[in-house]
Amino acid sequence: MNDAERPIAPLKSQLAYWVFQLTGWGAYSLSRFLGGVFLMNLPWVRFGLQLLLVDALGLGLSHLLRDYVWRYQWRALPIRKRILRIVAAAIVCGIPLGILTQFTDVALLQDPTELLEGAALRFQLAASIALQMANWSVVFLIWLTLYFTALAVREHRSAQLRQSELARALHLAELRLLKSQLNPHFLFNALNTVRSLIADNPARAQNAVTHLANTLRYTLSSRQDELVTLSQEMDIVADYLELESMRCEDRLRIEKQVPADASGVRIPVMLLQTLVENAIKHGIAELPAGGVLRISAAVKDDMLNLEVENPRPAASTHAAHESVGLRNARDRLRLLFGARASLDLDLSRPAVATARLRIPLQL
Amino acid sequence: MKAMIIDDEPPARRELRRLLDKFAWVEIVGEAGNVDQADEMIASLTPELLFLDIQMPGGTGFDLLTRLEDVPQVIFTTAYDQHAVRAFEVDALDYLLKPIDPARLTEALGRARSVNAARTPQPGAVLEQIFVRDGDRCWFVPLREVRLLTSEGNYIRLSWGKEKPLLGRALAALEQRLDPNRFFRVNRRQIINLDFIESVDLGVNGRLHAQLRDGAEVEISRRQARLFKTKMSI
Repeated sequence: MNDAERPIAPLKSQLAYWVFQLTGWGAYSLSRFLGGVFLMNLPWVRFGLQLLLVDALGLGLSHLLRDYVWRYQWRALPIRKRILRIVAAAIVCGIPLGILTQFTDVALLQDPTELLEGAALRFQLAASIALQMANWSVVFLIWLTLYFTALAVREHRSAQLRQSELARALHLAELRLLKSQLNPHFLFNALNTVRSLIADNPARAQNAVTHLANTLRYTLSSRQDELVTLSQEMDIVADYLELESMRCEDRLRIEKQVPADASGVRIPVMLLQTLVENAIKHGIAELPAGGVLRISAAVKDDMLNLEVENPRPAASTHAAHESVGLRNARDRLRLLFGARASLDLDLSRPAVATARLRIPLQL
Repeated sequence: MKAMIIDDEPPARRELRRLLDKFAWVEIVGEAGNVDQADEMIASLTPELLFLDIQMPGGTGFDLLTRLEDVPQVIFTTAYDQHAVRAFEVDALDYLLKPIDPARLTEALGRARSVNAARTPQPGAVLEQIFVRDGDRCWFVPLREVRLLTSEGNYIRLSWGKEKPLLGRALAALEQRLDPNRFFRVNRRQIINLDFIESVDLGVNGRLHAQLRDGAEVEISRRQARLFKTKMSI
């Protein structure tokens, strides 16, 4: 892998790395220095010089190690392979440091008169070097463990961040989707009706095209969070119902009751439309004889009460009426008004479904 | 060719009727606006071809087909449910999307006509295919490809290819309509397709066992064994 492909750590974490690296090594050196000088009465200049030399090598090696870890993508390795590599790296780094420590020890700190000779010297030296190497390997093992822990923490944080960004994007997308969309089944059936009317009744066909255009424009151009007056929404419901009446002919009968004080109330766009569509789809369209669709509105206690009532198949269950459209409508209300608005579907009366919508007059 | 239009929307029925005007050989014998009405009319009018909408009040087009004993040829007409039609495992039927493209209609009718020329169904005659819906899946099952029919209460389990769909009919009723040269009742619960017999041996209990090509083994009841031997001339 070449350098260009290597993921570049962001500047902030570069800085964090150096702060941790210098603090860590500094603290390690200082604690040994103080211990050596005050507890073991070592000559501070020489001992300081030794620590400086050895720990500089330690710092340098650990920095190279970090580079190596990134170059060979250790983080992507399976845990078993990673641990093996970490242990191996700790041992490899321990070797030069062990040797350097031992020789600086001899050169800077030991009294020449205390030195042994011959085989005894070699043995003592070898044992001492091995001990120093083991010591340093442990130090590197700790360093690597800390380093990988820090990486894991950072990764976890950025994963969390991504997660929350994703959640936010999802929320937005959801909102966009929640808006009642034009039911393609309705659209194509309406087009088929128009095709039929062109031969049967050209004047009605022209009207049908106008109603369809109005419905399409309203659906396509309205925004998710838009509020419209009840009378605007009623206009589009009327267009929609005209088209459905042409389709169902005498099976669909409509009664509307909207008092003047209610028609100016602002409601979420396409919400009443969704209820009406639901009433036809799960109610009247399911009945061979059709029925009456009733829309009524009333203002009371600073609330707008809207009711859509329709006959339904006697055996229909709540689940059958709880359409995606209705669920979306409820979610939209919650997002726009919180707990102040409500939408309930009442199936308590036999063969009748009533959708009740309550919306506060003030936003 | 006698055809029927089944659609809940009067304008849609009128439109289709108008499109069919051009085809003098297609005679529209009736129109129905829902499944119950259609069921009755099919029984009395015996159409050879159905133009069938899917979404209708009181039941879907699929519901209608499961109710019919003799299923005529079917061309589905649908505004947007083509995925529902594609759910069919067998390419044995056609669908038209509304508004209907006259060229597509001509093609579909051409296919229906050639299929119709090949088969001359008579009421009460041997059933050749059967419409089966099991859960979300539907099939037109050619009966000659069914290896084994097993009674499960008021249902029949069909062993057909890789599928084992459940058919909502009683075995005794269906037996009347099966080809007697092909199907044989081996015991109270099972009917086998003789074309699929691999071998017949005598079991340890002294009864005959028929091994089918898919590996299934059925026991032939004592009562039916003699008849079976005659039939297979063994």
